[in-house]
Amino acid sequence: MINLQPYSNPNYFMILLAALLPIMIGLYFGRRLKIYEALFTFSFLVLTFGGDHWHQGVALIIYTIYQVGLTMGFERYRRTKNQTSIFVSTVLLSILPLVIVKFTPLFPNDHSFNIGFLGISYLTFKTVQVIMELRDGTIKEISWQQYLQFLLFFPTISSGPIDRYRRFIKDYDHVPDRKTYLADVDQAVFYLFQGFLYKYILGYIFGTLLLPNVSQAALSQRYALGGTGISWYLLAYMYVYSMYLFFDFAGYSLFAVSISYFMGIKTPMNFNKPFLAHNIKEFWNRWHMTLSFWFRDFIFMRFTFWVMKHHWVKNRVRMSQLAYLVNFLVMGFWHGITWYYIVYGLFHAAAIILNDYWLRYKKKHADQIPHNKWTEGLAIFATFNIVCFSFLIFSGFLNQLWF
Amino acid sequence: MNDTEKIYSILNDLTGEDLTDKGDTNLFDTGLLDSMATVQLLLEIETEIGVEVPVSEFERSEWETPNKIIAKVGSLK
Amino acid sequence: MKFGKKLWLIFGPVVIAVISVWIVLLLPLNHQRVSQDALRRGSVSLSTNIYHGQLFKKQAFAENYVPFLGSSELLRMDPMHPSVLAAKYHRSYQPFLLGSAGSQSLNHYFTLQGVHSELKDKKIIFIISPQWFTKQGQAPAAFSYYYSPLQAIQWLLTAKDSKATHYAAKRLLAMPSGKSSLIVENCLEKTARGESLTHSDRLLLDLRRHILLNEDALFSRFRLVDRWRRIEAGERVLPKRDSTTSLNRLAIRLARQHTTTNRFGIDNHFYSERLRGSRINGLRDSQRSFDYRQSPEYSDLELLLSEFKQVHANVLFVIPPINHRWATYTGLSMPMLQQTATKIKYQLRSQGFDHITDLTNDSQQNYMMQDTIHLGWLGWLKVDQAVKPFLTEPQDQPTYHLNSYFFTKNWQESLTLQKSDGQHGE
Repeated sequence: MINLQPYSNPNYFMILLAALLPIMIGLYFGRRLKIYEALFTFSFLVLTFGGDHWHQGVALIIYTIYQVGLTMGFERYRRTKNQTSIFVSTVLLSILPLVIVKFTPLFPNDHSFNIGFLGISYLTFKTVQVIMELRDGTIKEISWQQYLQFLLFFPTISSGPIDRYRRFIKDYDHVPDRKTYLADVDQAVFYLFQGFLYKYILGYIFGTLLLPNVSQAALSQRYALGGTGISWYLLAYMYVYSMYLFFDFAGYSLFAVSISYFMGIKTPMNFNKPFLAHNIKEFWNRWHMTLSFWFRDFIFMRFTFWVMKHHWVKNRVRMSQLAYLVNFLVMGFWHGITWYYIVYGLFHAAAIILNDYWLRYKKKHADQIPHNKWTEGLAIFATFNIVCFSFLIFSGFLNQLWF
Repeated sequence: MNDTEKIYSILNDLTGEDLTDKGDTNLFDTGLLDSMATVQLLLEIETEIGVEVPVSEFERSEWETPNKIIAKVGSLK
Repeated sequence: MKFGKKLWLIFGPVVIAVISVWIVLLLPLNHQRVSQDALRRGSVSLSTNIYHGQLFKKQAFAENYVPFLGSSELLRMDPMHPSVLAAKYHRSYQPFLLGSAGSQSLNHYFTLQGVHSELKDKKIIFIISPQWFTKQGQAPAAFSYYYSPLQAIQWLLTAKDSKATHYAAKRLLAMPSGKSSLIVENCLEKTARGESLTHSDRLLLDLRRHILLNEDALFSRFRLVDRWRRIEAGERVLPKRDSTTSLNRLAIRLARQHTTTNRFGIDNHFYSERLRGSRINGLRDSQRSFDYRQSPEYSDLELLLSEFKQVHANVLFVIPPINHRWATYTGLSMPMLQQTATKIKYQLRSQGFDHITDLTNDSQQNYMMQDTIHLGWLGWLKVDQAVKPFLTEPQDQPTYHLNSYFFTKNWQESLTLQKSDGQHGE
């Protein structure tokens, strides 16, 4: 039984593009071939989760049935009633599988069936979002077929970008006119090749050629500077890893967006020149955007709304600081339950809180603080370095270096 | 005070700028509103005007200028 | 038509790009040659693209280059390194170094695929490190680093059905590398079961080989690490005449100069980079439980021996010494090392591989090693005393008689040099 990991080699792209051809011809002639698309999705899920990954396939099927049942149940309930306790329990039940998966590595001796599979967190983002919107009443009804299409939308299933239900269904139910579709395809081809450049050339240079060398060099200096392991090689590792992380992930995201565009679905972009951000706040509007926007809309804003509505925290500045802390801590835990992911979250919370202090100060003293292309350059440089340092924490390399 | 005046008064409060004549200013691109201030905006609209806006309803592109906010609130009333 | 033109504008460049890539990959480029200068640099570069490919190896082995198979010691390029001696004294051979940190018998087996006709009846030097013979044997990560699909495909297309072939296929399948390509994995499974490949399997592998050979011909000459300058620097230090006494004198002088900071006879630079300070304390007695007598590596070695037999190579085996003072400090057992060498030598001799230079007992001598386990100065000269006559004087054609017992787990774990038929060894 064969198994192909998404976007991993030229064969995969050849098979994928060949399978896309009927969908593209259909859209070109103004039709969406929904049955074919369903079959297409199914076959690629089998390719990804079949073969020696079959246990992941089983986990995916069980997980999907569970989530669809949960969401459809809540939708049915929400038509007539709206109790907060039911809503909260539904959300908790929806994130339960992900929580179990995240905690499993803490119990290495437990050899029971692993319920995890590639992309479980991205599916959880989607289900939680739909449940919350059902609660708010912005989604009134869902059909299980459309919900499945949304959840299992093949190009983005393994690692995002995270789309929104209403946005997705609008595209899915709509067939673009030929001119618009050709513009989409044009964009898709561009993204595809940009993705090749990012993932297979730049990502390869940084990740495969440079990273092992700087990693080894930095590890050989683990006793440098009084046993802290801080060396020039560690600095090199920080930059090389950051570049690798960006090009690999941005390349992957470009593939997912590109394939979506071929299918007439405008999956949102994930990156917008993140290293050109002037400050941390702006960075999070440019880096892994669909994730940070999801956190903004479903953690940060809801948390603030809830706390402020109950007047638990009056001071606006304190409120935002608390919300940032909660937001980034949750993000840290989501990445995994290790000290370095959690420190990464705390680091970004601290950075964005300090950043806010500075922005307020700047606003107050706008006439005394110079603003020109040099200060902008300085801001970009400082932000870039702070971000790279946070990625050094994120990489887990310090864990290897110190423990 | 009518709703439009109320909305301008809330916005001027939140941003610390007089936006009364600048109905087409993009509040997000200019950094005048952030997520925090947005939540306050929604809460104030709820208490001052009595229109409940769920967070999910908040689609940035539909709320990015004072004029769009006025239109949106009008449609939800 | 308007939309037709638009379609062409979108996909035209893609189609042209795809076609041109295929043309380049399918051009008949396999008769490419590299210049003598590039070959010389390639022979000491230790770059993985040379180890992965075959352009350089093929041409080098057809000329007077002799494969020197080994691992990290090949990088210890002091003036007594075999490549320096051969270049300085214009010997009839020049080493072609294959292997670096982490490459062991299994990698060497695969890197020799695809150059069989050039290896036929050739002499080979093989430096076997006892450190390879760990409980786990070949580390999968290191194996992937030296593995290339070209090696595997060349092997699949030429392998004859035999115990050795089944063993090699199974070993490769146990590595992540063996699963990196669907078609290769599929063919490996068939080969491991003793089935022959179908016509379409061969066709696909052939196509893939053609593409990989073209990639090799186009790209392997780039990204060569230039180490020839170090060889030349070594040549400048060497005495004019190739005499054992003056070389020995120089080796001792150089070794003395370079090992002044520590009591282990370890190169100053290595010591300060890797051991100095608190690090060294952590290593005291750290190797007390090391044991090289039981390892899957013994069967990997057997696989390489079957390769030597297949191409009728005449091989000189070198078992390097270790740094005795360092071994004492780390608690590495000398009797265990001697037993390891004995087991290796038994496996070699009992099958007709008689050219063995075992330096294990020279461990006590000063200046043999450049650092903890790597040959240097006098050590290299000692190797040269065996290598030079072996390569410059005519040798009898050996006859090998292989015994598949060495592929078994019994042999890997045996501590008694006992054969399957109960007959005792030396």
